Amino acid sequence: MTRNLKLLALFVGAAVVGHVGLVMAVPHALMKVAMSRMSGDGTRINQFSFGPRTTKDSRGVVRPSPDLAYSSCVYDLSKGPLLVSAAPSPSQGYVSLSVFAANTDNIAALDTTQYPQGIRFVLKRKGQAAPVGVQVVESPSDKGIILDRRLAPSAELFAEVDQARRADSCAPLG
Amino acid sequence: MSGKLVSAGVLIAGLVAGAASGWYTLQHGMVQGETYSGWRGSKVTGSVDADPWTRARVAVSGLLALNKSQAIYFSRNTDDSGARLREDCRYRVSGGALPARWWSITVYAADNYLPLNDDDALSFDQTEAQPAGKVEWTGILSPKRREGEPWASTNKAGDYDITLRLYQPTPRAQQDYGAIPMPKVTKLDCGGAA
Repeated sequence: MTRNLKLLALFVGAAVVGHVGLVMAVPHALMKVAMSRMSGDGTRINQFSFGPRTTKDSRGVVRPSPDLAYSSCVYDLSKGPLLVSAAPSPSQGYVSLSVFAANTDNIAALDTTQYPQGIRFVLKRKGQAAPVGVQVVESPSDKGIILDRRLAPSAELFAEVDQARRADSCAPLG
Repeated sequence: MSGKLVSAGVLIAGLVAGAASGWYTLQHGMVQGETYSGWRGSKVTGSVDADPWTRARVAVSGLLALNKSQAIYFSRNTDDSGARLREDCRYRVSGGALPARWWSITVYAADNYLPLNDDDALSFDQTEAQPAGKVEWTGILSPKRREGEPWASTNKAGDYDITLRLYQPTPRAQQDYGAIPMPKVTKLDCGGAA
């Protein structure tokens, strides 16, 4: 009886570890997959990639919005901070830059309502130096994703914002 | 020896059962949160305050979701009567002014991606349904195009759900989701009667 109870306790303990372990690991694992896809298997790090118009065939990240134009920068801060910027869209359409840490947390979101002339900030780890007078975002992880979202509910608007977003930058602080 | 083998077997079985229960939990349930007039939404989506289960569910069904200061997401898979949304039915979605700079309603298939149809109508948004000066609005969810009305196609959507995105919500909306006047989803007809 005692042995059976010990085995039951072992089973329950292992089940808890398995359950919690998987739940904790999933966000990191899915972010790794997303970062790999968005960076072309690591060939485009610390630079923006400009996605095509969202269609039924957009399968890179779950639940894409067909009304938005997406651009992404997979970042790696291990060699120093990045200067990140995004130009506004024509007619002051919605633009935001959002920063996601390696555990999927949205650690910052800046938009052109706050910064109508364009968004600009330094992305860095704690302890890394940043120039004075520039907005700073601190990432809890070396790696993550920056996403540029722009309102583009039609092909015509997509073409307009596509031109504007080409001025986006995500590069090591020079 | 056999005792150690039994213990190892029980350990492995426990780990597998626990991992399976974790995966089931993540697969069967979009972000849970609270329900507001049939729409589910969580105040901690995308937030650093999210608990591990919410964070993992968001990763599975809404990776790279914004936190509520920038966007609020609500989803539902039922109409206002509580019946499951069906691909072959026609629904009217209606509402008034929403407390955000911009909103959209999008159809998602059960795999969390857009339905595999060629209708080029996967969503409708504020710019289409609520042009300047218009407060009350309606849109249609159906498998066939409806001319003259904002339309999101449910063709080939299967067991679908819809997501309402509120971008740049007002501070009051961020604070109190219950104060948001949520759109209604009313079934009109089914089985091609449309």
